[in-house]
Parts: sequence; structure tokens; C-alpha cells
Amino acid sequence: MTAVRRIAGKLGALLLTLFLASLLVFFSRFIVPGDPVSFLLRGRTPSPDAVAAVTAQYGLDLPPWQQYLNWLFGALQGDFGRSLQYRQDVSTVLGERLPVTLGLVVMAGLLIAVIGLSAGAVAALNRGRIADRATLVGLTVLGAVPSFVGSIVLIAVFSVQLRWFPSFGSGEGFLDTIYHLVLPSIALAIVFVVLVGKVTRSSMVEQLGREHVEVAMSRGLKRATVIRRHVFRNAIRPILTVAGVLVAGLLVSSAIVEAAFGLSGMGSLLVQSVDRLDFPVVQAIVMFVVTAFVVVNAIIDILEPWIDPRSAAGAGAR
Amino acid sequence: MTLLDISGLTLDLPNGNRLLDGISLDVSAGETVGLVGESGSGKSVTARSVLGLLPDRATTGGSVRLDGREVLGAPMGELLDLRRHRASMIFQDPRAGINPMRTIGDHMTETLRLCEGKSTAEARARAIELLHAVRLPRPEDHLRQYPHEFSGGMLQRVMIAGALTSSPRLLICDEPTTALDVTTQAEIITVLAEQRASRDMGMLFITHDLNLAASLCDRVVVMSGGRVEEHGDARRVFREPRAEYTKRLVAATPTIAVGEASVGRAVSAGERIETSAPDTRLPSAQSRYGAGAPTRPAAGPMLATLGLSKTYHRRGKEPVRAVADASIEIARGGALGVVGESGSGKSTLARMIVGLEQADAGDIRIAGRERTAAPRTRDERLAHARSVQMVFQDPYLSLDPRITAGRAIEDALRLHTRLASAEARTRVLELLDLVGLAEQHANARPRTLSGGQRQRVAIARALAIAPDVLVMDEATSALDVSVQAQVLDVVAEIRRERGLTVLFISHDLAVVRRVCEETVVMKDGEIVERGRTVRLLDAPEHPYTRLLIDSVPRPDWDLDAVMAEASIDALSATQG
Repeated sequence: MTAVRRIAGKLGALLLTLFLASLLVFFSRFIVPGDPVSFLLRGRTPSPDAVAAVTAQYGLDLPPWQQYLNWLFGALQGDFGRSLQYRQDVSTVLGERLPVTLGLVVMAGLLIAVIGLSAGAVAALNRGRIADRATLVGLTVLGAVPSFVGSIVLIAVFSVQLRWFPSFGSGEGFLDTIYHLVLPSIALAIVFVVLVGKVTRSSMVEQLGREHVEVAMSRGLKRATVIRRHVFRNAIRPILTVAGVLVAGLLVSSAIVEAAFGLSGMGSLLVQSVDRLDFPVVQAIVMFVVTAFVVVNAIIDILEPWIDPRSAAGAGAR
Repeated sequence: MTLLDISGLTLDLPNGNRLLDGISLDVSAGETVGLVGESGSGKSVTARSVLGLLPDRATTGGSVRLDGREVLGAPMGELLDLRRHRASMIFQDPRAGINPMRTIGDHMTETLRLCEGKSTAEARARAIELLHAVRLPRPEDHLRQYPHEFSGGMLQRVMIAGALTSSPRLLICDEPTTALDVTTQAEIITVLAEQRASRDMGMLFITHDLNLAASLCDRVVVMSGGRVEEHGDARRVFREPRAEYTKRLVAATPTIAVGEASVGRAVSAGERIETSAPDTRLPSAQSRYGAGAPTRPAAGPMLATLGLSKTYHRRGKEPVRAVADASIEIARGGALGVVGESGSGKSTLARMIVGLEQADAGDIRIAGRERTAAPRTRDERLAHARSVQMVFQDPYLSLDPRITAGRAIEDALRLHTRLASAEARTRVLELLDLVGLAEQHANARPRTLSGGQRQRVAIARALAIAPDVLVMDEATSALDVSVQAQVLDVVAEIRRERGLTVLFISHDLAVVRRVCEETVVMKDGEIVERGRTVRLLDAPEHPYTRLLIDSVPRPDWDLDAVMAEASIDALSATQG
């Protein structure tokens, strides 16, 4: 019963967050310099009548709060208005771009999980030894490589020199798409692997020093069993917290990688749209990123009592 | 039959530190051997070596034979077998020793399922049987619960039951009751003694508490600095210690025994004080500070609280009455002990007096001045701090690791006085001298000081501005007995020389006896008994005071009598 109430509370907070975010996203347009109408009529010397017509066509003559309500109710039905640069529905424009970005983010996410967790675990279990130092140095060096530099190096080595992977485009069909996305997803993952690896290491090192680990060892459990059941299991919580924060970072950083590999994804669309004051597209993308971030973190929040039973008992539990 | 035979065990760390230097001891079936020593003596390392749990990259020498098999250098498979079937270990802090993210049932059945290949149902049945054996009330329900739902004493029972799942021949107990209240300690000791007797196990019992070792063990081994100082019959070692170290240890151990000819015990600080201090009989609860406030501050009591209460309100839970209607009084130069178990409200009382908590109701007067309100502004805080200073439990946490001892004291001086640098330095050295430290300690950071030295720095800091009252909240609980004795001597010395007024909060009756003429006993936020410490220990009136006193382990030599007594009390406590 309390679980149902708790989850309902979290969902309420989620909706409130999204509502506040929508206000911020929509009204920030009025702060940004530049007039969308003059962009629409670029290159022409419009008559006042033409300006008024275009303004009315895009609903820009209405008071801001009414523009907001129109936009909000449209957005709730999947209609984010029309793109100014493409003269198409925003949903259509995004629908073409989204799969590439999602594929990129999912592949990078898998790489981050597998490589980050294993690097962190290897370092923690060999704490103070060569393997630990080597992993830490490796992670630190990788962490200092910006993703555009990483992209260029990957292209130079694996596409141009070795010719193993394509350097451009997102391919056709499922397998070909995955093949095309290998290098971009590596480039995107690098920085985040470092983050997850370091958090995993420190969280596991902390758990390894706990007395309950020694108790488990003293009872004759195999080391591997102790590490799986008592060290890694207990170390998950901070790792998940970091993972939740990563989601937004991955979606936004994909812009750089998409540009480097010539992928027509959401990130490159965002950069382009900001440049051209295509505010309906910008609003839609930002709302998408915000929603993804908030939803993922809400899921992690809701899962928390299963991850750490103490949190269900509230702050009073020791 | 010898179960455990350690001979000439040495252990060196890679950095050249020798942790163990020629340890020899043995344990037979059905026998309890005490391993006694202060922190750093190597007693825990010795115990862990029996299970092959050695520090990383340590080198060992000598031999450890468990049930006829050599442990040192044994291959992993054999070590696992020893840990699964021959010996198991109970650790000090059950809250740290049981994985907080797994259920009690998981802890109980883990080894049965994963190591012994028992089915879930078999493991469950065995777990329930063992939880019954350690007298937990509802074993079936407990299996689904998490550690945070248990009290410390209940968790330690789970830890014991968990150690018994493997039906060990030898049970190693590493300070199993140190983290527990004294009444809980008595219950746990009873459970351990029962299980040892019914299973004919050998027991290696590690403790820093001489009285506990003396009341429980057949033989004892006294360790210090990685060496065995003395071993032999428990009775003989404590009555006629031969080694210098044991003599000092016995002398430093406070006791609650009243009126008995002390066995090599130094005259307690409390007794010395009593002769010089004026008779500070606590007035009856009604005539606290009479009609009207004292005209001259010096005439009244130094510290007086009247009907002090504090209730904590927590959202969605029952409010907790931490302190209810507490009235205490300490005469100028007197020392009052506040005794109680965890949750009795003794620390909340101290925090209200020091001004860290706001009392809900009641009245606090220090040297005749009103000090009830928790200070809000900087000036109020400074004024309150000049009235009363506190020494906290853990000197490792209460001193800033980045600043030197001298600087810590100097900061307190600068905050409250307008001394010039040179004068302040001189004052710092005087204060350090007062607590038995020297000039070189002024430049030391806390990291390089020992626990006792740190606590003395904390006392010097508290005394820097000459407060009217010094509150010591479990100030010696984290220290070894010999260090505790030093710190208590320092306090006694300062009281004699300066007439310092002390409020001494402790769970340890023996320590309170050593420091305080008057004592109040707290339970569930209420003061249940008050009076002269000697009278209270000798002829307790309230049943709870009697339970507290009876729970303190004593070298009674008639082990069965102590056990029977403790178990009756434990039963009445759980029913009450």
C-alpha cells in the first residue's frame, strides 16, 4: 500500500517537473534575440500585409500564454507545430532523425555498461596493484579526450587506415545500421566509460572494506560468490545514480559525434535548428531530452527500495 | 582434545611491521579461552589467522593447527573446508557484519544453499531451528526481515545463529558484545554459554574487558604489542598477575565492586576527591534551588536543571520522548554521573545543557544564570560556550584533522578572549601541561596523536576558556582501559586543582563510580534513581538500577551462578 502511494507521489513529481520544464522551454524563446517572422521571410522585403499574414499563419499574433496553451495541447497529442526551415511538421522531421540518435545512444549505453563496469571492477578487485594503476591511468587519459578528437582518431585509424568501418552515414537496414554506428558509438561512449568506471571502482572499493564482506569470507563462501552477492550487489546504487545523469549527457553529446560522422540524427538537427531560429524544432528536441532524463531518473527512484531496502524505511532507518 | 593449537605464530606486513611475534595458545573442546588485550595488541589478527583471513601480502611463520590440520599455507580448497565445517567467527558489530541489503533469511541460509547444496526448504528449516536456539521470538517472520528492522542485540543473535549453521567445532568471538548495552551484553553472553555447553564447542573469546573475560573464561591469554604477556588459569591471572603489563591492566580496569579490598587496584580518583570535596549530597527533587533564584551566583549550585523535557516529532511515526522532566543539580566543584543505556536520553540531556538542542519545557541554570534557550545569535553562542563546554565521545571525529593540537586550543582562546599571540601561545602550553601533554604536542596534527592524547587535547580545548561546567559525553568510551585510566586521572587532577564542575555521561557504571560522587540513572528519558554513587551501587533501589548492576560482568569465579542470574534478569527484561 505504501509502495503504491510512494510511486504515485513520484509520478506526480514527474508530471510537475515536466510541466515546469515546458514553461521554461516555451517561454525562453521570448528571451532569445531574433524574430522568427523575419527568418521566414528572409531574402524578401515584405509588405506589412505579408508580415501580418505570416504572423497569423504561425499563430504568432496571439498573446504568449495562448501560444503556450496551443503549443502544449498540440505537444500532448504529438504535434509540435511546423518546422520553419523544412516547412514540414516537426513530428515528421524528428521521426526521420530520432531512430539514428536512439540507436547511437543505445549502443553507446551498452558499451558504457560493459566496459565501464568491467574496468571499474577489475581496478577495484586489484586495488593498489598494477592492473588497478593501469586501468586508472588509462581511464584518466581517455577522459581527457574530447569526443570530436576521439571521432577523428577513430575515423583516421579504423576507416581510413584499416578500412574496417565506414566513416560516413548511417546505413540501410538493421545490421548495416549497427555496423555504421560502431565507430560513432565508441566515440560517444569514451567519456562516459571513464565516469562509470571510476564510480564503479570507488563504490566497490568502499564495499570491499566493509565488515560484512569479511564475515561472508569467514563463512567459507568462494571469493567470486562474495564479490557477486555482497560487493557488487551493494555497489550498484551510486552507479545507477550516475547512469541516470548520463542519459541527458548522451543525448546532447550525440550532436558532436553525429556531426563528425555525418549522421543525420537529432543532435545535428538541434544544432542546425538553433542556428536558424527554428524554434518549434528546438522546443520539441529539448522537451524530448528533458522528458527522457526525468523519466529515466524517476524509474531509478521508483526502483530504489528494491536496490536498497533501507531507503524504503525512510531516513530513520540506520 | 586440542581443537586449536597455535605455536610460535609470527606475522609481518610487507612494510616490515611485525604484527604478531611468537604467539602460542591452544583451545580444547568444551573450553573457553579468553584472548585479552588493548587495541593494537594483535588479538584480532591472531583470531582471524585461525580462519586463514590474513592481511594482504602478509608473511607468516610458526603454525596454526585447527582440528589437526595446518591452516597457514593451506590451499584455498582446504581453507574453505575449514571455514565451512571446523570453525566460525562472530564479529564485533553485527550492524556492520550483516549485509544490510539482504534479508536475515538470506544471511542464515546463504552458506547452506551455496556451499552445502541444501535445498531451499532444508536450509530454511535449519535457519528457523537456529534462530529459535538463540531465542529470537518469531524466526519464521524474521527470515523475511532486513537488518535495519532489528536492534543491535537481536542482530548479534542472528550473527551467532549464522555462525552456528556450519555446526563448528570451534567458535571464535571477536568482541561480540562491545557494541552492545550492558543488559544486552548479559543476554548475549548467556546465549553463547548455552550454545557452547550444548554443542561441546571450543571457544576463543576476544575482549578488551578484563571483567568480562574473568567472568566467562576458563583460561586467558593476555596480549600486548603482538606478544603474549601472560597466560594461565583465568582466576589466577586476575588475582595474582605476574607480568608487569597484566598488573597495570588490572589496576587500570575500573570496577563496580563496592567496599571490597581492591586487588592491586589504584585508589580510585573518586575516593580521593570525596575526601577533599565538600559534602555535596543531592537535595531532594522538590527543594531544587529553593524559593527565588540565588542572589549570589556562588551560593547556589553550579548547574541546575528543573523539569527539563524534550520530545522528538518524526513525520508519520510515534513521537519519541527523549527526556522527560529531568531535574539534576551539581554543586560547585562536584561531579554528577548520568548513567543509562542507548536511547535513555542521556545524550539529549547533555545536548540541551550545552545548548545544541532546545528544550521543550523546563529550565537550565548555570552558575545562577539562565541558560535554557538554545543560543541563536553569535553573542548568545559565545556566552553559552563560556558557561559550559563539552568533550565528545570520539576524539578521532571531534578534532579537525587539518589543524594542529595547539592551534585547536588557540582558536578557542582567540574566539573568547583578546589575548595577544604570545600570551595565547603561553596559555596553550599551560593548558597542554595541565592535561599532561608537552610543547611538542602543540605542533602535532591529530593524525599523529594517540586516542588518549587526542582526548586530552579535546579536554584542554574545552577548558581553555575556563567554563563553569564541563560536560563529558561518553568521553572515555572509545579509549582503551589503560588510556581511559590516564584520561580519568587527568580529570581528577584538574578537579582537585581547580574545583571544576563535571557532568559525566556514561553507560559504564564502573567508570562513573571512579569519577562521580553523585549519580542519576536514566531509562527511557526519565531519571529513575539518584543518589550517592557508592550507595547506588551498594544498595540500588530501582529494579532497573539493579538490572544494570547485575548485568555488569564480574570476576565471580562461580560462572554458573552468574549465568543463571543473568538469564533470569534477561527474561524479566524482555517481558517488562
